Amino acid sequence: MTVRLDAPPSPPAAAPARRRAVSGRRVVLRRLSGLLAVAGLLAWAVDRALPAEGELVNRGGLALLDDLAATALHPSLDAAFCGVVLEATVTTLALALLGTAGALVVGLAGGLILSDVAWDRSPPWPVRAGRLLLRGVLVAVRSVHELVWALFLVSVLGLDPLVAVLALALPFGAQSAQVFGETLDGVPGAPLRALRAAGARRFPALAYALLPGAAPLLLSYSFYRFECALRSTVVLGVAGVGGLGVELTLSLQSRNWGEVWTLVAALLALAAVVELWSNRVRSDVAVVTCADWSAGQARAARSPRGLSRSTRWSLALVVPAIAGAWWWVGPSPAGLVSTRTQDLGGRLLLDLWPPALPEGGMPALAGASLDTVAMAVLAMVVAVVITLVVGPWAGRPRADRRGPAAWGRRALWWPARLLLLVLRSIPPTVWAVVALLSLFPGVLPGASALGLYTGGILGRLVAEAWETMDLRPRDALRGAGVPRVVSAVLSIGPPSANHLVTYTLYRFEICVRDTVIVGAVGAAGLGRLLGERLAAFDFSVVTSILLASLLISFAVELLGRRLRRALRG
Amino acid sequence: MVRLRGAGCRFGPREALRDVDLTIHAGERVAVLGASGAGKSTLLALLNGSLEPTTGSVEVFGEDPALLSVPRRRRLQRRIGSVSQDLALIEQVRVLHNVNAGRLGRWSTTRALASLVWPHSLDVVVDALDRVDLGWALHERTERLSGGERQRVAIARLLVQAPELVVADEPVSSLDPVRAAEILGLLRTSPAVRTVVVALHQPALAQKHCARVLGLREGRLVLDLPAAEVSDAALNDLYALV
Ligand SMILES: Nc1ncnc2c1ncn2[C@@H]1O[C@H](COP(=O)(O)OP(=O)(O)OP(=O)(O)O)[C@@H](O)[C@H]1O
Ligand SMILES: [Mg+2]
Repeated sequence: MTVRLDAPPSPPAAAPARRRAVSGRRVVLRRLSGLLAVAGLLAWAVDRALPAEGELVNRGGLALLDDLAATALHPSLDAAFCGVVLEATVTTLALALLGTAGALVVGLAGGLILSDVAWDRSPPWPVRAGRLLLRGVLVAVRSVHELVWALFLVSVLGLDPLVAVLALALPFGAQSAQVFGETLDGVPGAPLRALRAAGARRFPALAYALLPGAAPLLLSYSFYRFECALRSTVVLGVAGVGGLGVELTLSLQSRNWGEVWTLVAALLALAAVVELWSNRVRSDVAVVTCADWSAGQARAARSPRGLSRSTRWSLALVVPAIAGAWWWVGPSPAGLVSTRTQDLGGRLLLDLWPPALPEGGMPALAGASLDTVAMAVLAMVVAVVITLVVGPWAGRPRADRRGPAAWGRRALWWPARLLLLVLRSIPPTVWAVVALLSLFPGVLPGASALGLYTGGILGRLVAEAWETMDLRPRDALRGAGVPRVVSAVLSIGPPSANHLVTYTLYRFEICVRDTVIVGAVGAAGLGRLLGERLAAFDFSVVTSILLASLLISFAVELLGRRLRRALRG
Repeated sequence: MVRLRGAGCRFGPREALRDVDLTIHAGERVAVLGASGAGKSTLLALLNGSLEPTTGSVEVFGEDPALLSVPRRRRLQRRIGSVSQDLALIEQVRVLHNVNAGRLGRWSTTRALASLVWPHSLDVVVDALDRVDLGWALHERTERLSGGERQRVAIARLLVQAPELVVADEPVSSLDPVRAAEILGLLRTSPAVRTVVVALHQPALAQKHCARVLGLREGRLVLDLPAAEVSDAALNDLYALV
């Protein structure tokens, strides 16, 4: 007994976490149920998209499509128009730059507030409550599509370039705040605590201890965001702001196909240059793929080599470039606080509340919501098909391969990348207009337009993930004498499928949000309703539409999480 | 200079330190010994104010860090230099910034930020690094250094901070015997430093470099003797498995 008394206190009841063995049958059942759910969703979406009666294909529009195709090789090269295009291209670039810069400011401030490391110990309760509120506000801000922000802001600020900047900075900033907060929290906290323990002030301590570890990630993410911002800027053209997008909208409206082709060419060139540049910088500062960022996390974060000279120059030029962009677009921040703005803004807020149901009541709203979901589902089908067909060829060929097979692979690499670039660089609004020429308005044209666009993005994400996949398991199998094909299937199959499932589901959530773009040009769903009601200044209905889309976003996120867990076993 | 009254610390159900009464006077050199998990790091964390006791009280330079306002606590902590067991160096920067970080407490925010771009008074840094035999590493990235070199960077940071009280948690655990003795000597002879509290795993080093030896066992202070009077039997007791 005495021994017992002298013994050290029994170790804390840290319950020996014995894990229950996972039974194989359960995994199979779970996957099967996941697959069944997906199949059910698909069947429902197809059923919903096909009109009960009447025609699908718009024969009248097909003639216009012929015109469109015929002018493909005769873009408008009129000198005056080329000048306009050039100017619009610079404006687009400048707006994307300013929007990204704004998003970074919001993101850094928000990220610092949301991160736990920036506060010593646990912050006092008012701060905690404030942070919870901020989190909620950020979720709400980013659930509203940048196009909708632009439409709102235009009605308050008029057609000022500031509208485009803010419309990008708000939702992107909200997104960045979350990512930055997590990134900062991911940096080891011991150095910061040590500096604080030696009496350093908060900000210097943060700058010394966190910045060096987080900066590469923040930079990489910023450049990724910049690429997204460029695409979004073009979409904002529908709202009447944003350089190339505006010109594109005008030319599409007047059915001037020659001009459309010129604009598309300019867009492609701009997107290609920006993506090549951004890719280079990102691969230089940190090993994080777009795929990782789109899923909101960084897997690995060490830059293997130092910064190259071109990257150093790029970074040094960022600040002057932002200043130059500001000078070029000439936004008028004074407009933000003018009495007219206050007046209009106040009236807008008053009009937004209380929410009212659209014509047709609840059924109309629910119907539009279901259309939106069906559209997103079908769009993802298109996107996944594109990814499966093009994606495998779009990844950078491994350098160590030799022989004719490797040559063929290399020959396919560029066309595959180019195809994906074209798909994602042409804004979904253009795809939608094309789709609406050949199909009658409804879920189907919207889904195909969104599907083409999303396919371009998803294909790239998955290709990038595949490209950076660890091949050592395959080599190990091969080394153990397993036949080539079998070892490839066994080792590469499961992780590739995993990537595909993960990014498809993430992209699905974004796709639901993007339906508003194709809706606004007349496809279907909540987006269309929103476009109509905004044009009619029917803001109380707009509120209920926004609430409905917020609800759908939540539901889809839940569904996505469920499916992800089920399918990954 | 340092006074603990009935100080205890628990992490959830685990009592890392219990009921420690301890007074350390200015000018003393104290070694803390004890088996792994005995509570050495916890005791040192109480001394530099990075941890607050769950029971009892801690007084450093006559003040309880837990009761001070934030600016006053910062001013107090400036006078305490710590080397933590995991070193807590910033990995991705050049060594000179890690050393300069020791002076952050005395710098204004602007100077601190400016120094990240344009290092401030490099000669002080060079001098400190020279004293720990690391003059060559000034512009090296910290993550490229070996374990022992990193420990010496942490010491150099301490030297530029020039604190009155040094709280060092196993500062020489990955150094060869000669360098270990040299570093402990540096801590002792540095002009500003008056009091040293150092956790060690080698009793011989403790007896050689410190005048007073504390022994912890399962969170209790079980040994407090002048270095010369520490017997082998007492040490065996300290480290014995139950
Ligand atoms: N932050 C913490 N959370 C939970 N338990 C902790 C924490 N810090 C220390 N402990 C526990 O308190 C006890 C004492 O830890 P401490 O780090 O003080 O030991 P030590 O004497 O420094 O050991 P070592 O020689 O291994 O460094 C250990 O059992 C440890 O697990
Ligand atoms: Mg310890």
